[in-house]
Amino acid sequence: MLQKVLQALEETQGPVSLDELSRQLELDVGVLEGMIDFWVRKGKLKDSRLAACAGGCGNCNPGAQGCTFDRGRPRSITLT
Amino acid sequence: MTSIGLTPSLRMTYASPIEAELTRLSEDLGHCPDLVARYPMRWLAIQLLEGDALLQAEVERLGGSVASEALAASRMRLETHYGEDLDVAMVDQRYRFVHDLAAQALTRPKTPSLTMSDRVDRIVTNRWLGIPIFLGLMWVVFKLTTDVAAPFVDWIDAVLTGPVSHWIISLLSITGLSGGWLESLLIDGVIAGVGGVLVFIPVLFSLYFALAILEDSGYMARSAFVMDRLMHRLGLHGKSFLPMIVGFGCSVPAIYATRTLENERDRILTGLLVPFMSCSARLPVYVLVAAIFFPTMAGLVIFGLYLTGILVAIGLGILLKHTLFGNELPTPFVIELPPYRLPTLRNIWQQMWERTAAFLQHAWTIILGTSMLIWLLLALPVSGEGGFAETDVDQSAFAAVSGVVTPVFAPLGFGSWETSGALLTGFVAKEVVVSTMIQVYNVPGEEEEEAVATTFGEDLLAIGGSFVSATSDALKAIPSIIGINLAAEEDEQAPDGLTGAIRQGFDASSGGHGALAALAFLVFVLLYTPCMVAVAAARQEFGSRWMWVSIIGQFVIAWLAALIVFQGGRFFL
Repeated sequence: MLQKVLQALEETQGPVSLDELSRQLELDVGVLEGMIDFWVRKGKLKDSRLAACAGGCGNCNPGAQGCTFDRGRPRSITLT
Repeated sequence: MTSIGLTPSLRMTYASPIEAELTRLSEDLGHCPDLVARYPMRWLAIQLLEGDALLQAEVERLGGSVASEALAASRMRLETHYGEDLDVAMVDQRYRFVHDLAAQALTRPKTPSLTMSDRVDRIVTNRWLGIPIFLGLMWVVFKLTTDVAAPFVDWIDAVLTGPVSHWIISLLSITGLSGGWLESLLIDGVIAGVGGVLVFIPVLFSLYFALAILEDSGYMARSAFVMDRLMHRLGLHGKSFLPMIVGFGCSVPAIYATRTLENERDRILTGLLVPFMSCSARLPVYVLVAAIFFPTMAGLVIFGLYLTGILVAIGLGILLKHTLFGNELPTPFVIELPPYRLPTLRNIWQQMWERTAAFLQHAWTIILGTSMLIWLLLALPVSGEGGFAETDVDQSAFAAVSGVVTPVFAPLGFGSWETSGALLTGFVAKEVVVSTMIQVYNVPGEEEEEAVATTFGEDLLAIGGSFVSATSDALKAIPSIIGINLAAEEDEQAPDGLTGAIRQGFDASSGGHGALAALAFLVFVLLYTPCMVAVAAARQEFGSRWMWVSIIGQFVIAWLAALIVFQGGRFFL
């Protein structure tokens, strides 16, 4: 099952939404999220939430939740 | 047995080689009383076989070499079955168990019912409708930032140049410091420079309000999805548009956001394209110039500039992808589309406030410092007879320095020292273009001499009254977004000192094609280096070589695009 997630990503053409992928794999979005988190921990997938602007860019006050401009960026997951 | 006396009828069972090792390892670990006292043995064995480093250290500490050797032996035996991926196999078997269990226990419809988000997405992310909807929403955003914010811009401008300036002058005359260089510094430097930028706070507030609604409602992720798909079709890395979305707010985090791209070439390519997305700091320049030269279609001009930025980025991306950056296939990726929801006031306010606070921080540091430096250079005479802070601006050190680069901009229609100086200082930050223009074009108004003396209380009343009037005008402007004009038609007013001076300046430098030169100027501002902090970010992320490629490349593209607008426009008009 876990390998199917990587396989589906390798075979997909263009960007795919999380919902679309969960339908394609016939998995609940919550289950798929867990699988993605596992592969992110294993270093096979990269989650944009973990590569956010680290602040300290000197341009703005980063605020409690990080850079206020960067928060508008949607989350994405990519094969490494 | 559970505490209420029920025994689970199903037990998670791994494949037999794993089960055998779990049993053996549990028994071996069970010889250590410290571990038995702290952890369930089967659970501990599962975690250790999956490679939990923290627990492994704990087991080594409490169980000593016997426990460590037992774990190593179990792992070695399992490696013959599963290789290095023992943890993958164990997690996979758990998922399969839960999946099978859920399939037995739950009855699901063959076709899952569509949620409201799914229904909306069928339209919003539709292959043909997605991009027109994105452009339509952008249009609404820029109408909001120009038409609705305009009355508040005028209000702040009137407050700063009227009562606030009068109060400062009065305070200086009470202390006996009026009429000298200090008054000039405060009025012509700080108020004209920083104040000239602060008047655009309502514009930025409107932009951040619109962006906050789009982000909080879940639409922004859809717009990225739609544009990604387009870019992917054009052979570009679709994921490049995600940092670009951030670039609408600020280029600096957008450059850092390229870290999410895996391939270094894609990262550099996206880093070169991100600065072409029009950041919010450029908006005050657009609003100032568009309001002077294109008062009836300022929203359209600004919308066109944002669109031009996107098109230049995509066009350049295609060119670079087929030349310098090879023609590799883009990596596929998953994007999270959060469910649509009603934006909350708290979230909207938080985003508007944090982003505006970042702008204010900029105003009180970089813009204030630059405005004071420009004032100093404008106050220093290099020719003529005037002394310090008394010289004509065109005989100042600033005019002399700016005049050196003026020939570069002459073919673009804005080859005057005033605009050259504004573009030079614009390298520091784009808001500084506005403050510099206001400082260099600042003509002492006749109305200042004719101003009727008012008391502090009368000033406060006038400020309150004009705010109510501005609010009323802003409310009337809201229906204009969909083409309904509730505001009374105003007679064309004679341009005030600043507006007239800027118009005359562009007319003079362009041989009478002021509006065309102004449009070329806006295109140049859109496309050249966003600010020095963005340059520093590019250096940090991509190295000095790519930083220079970025600076020079942006300058050349901005120059060529402005040339096409001005010379092409002259040819056709």
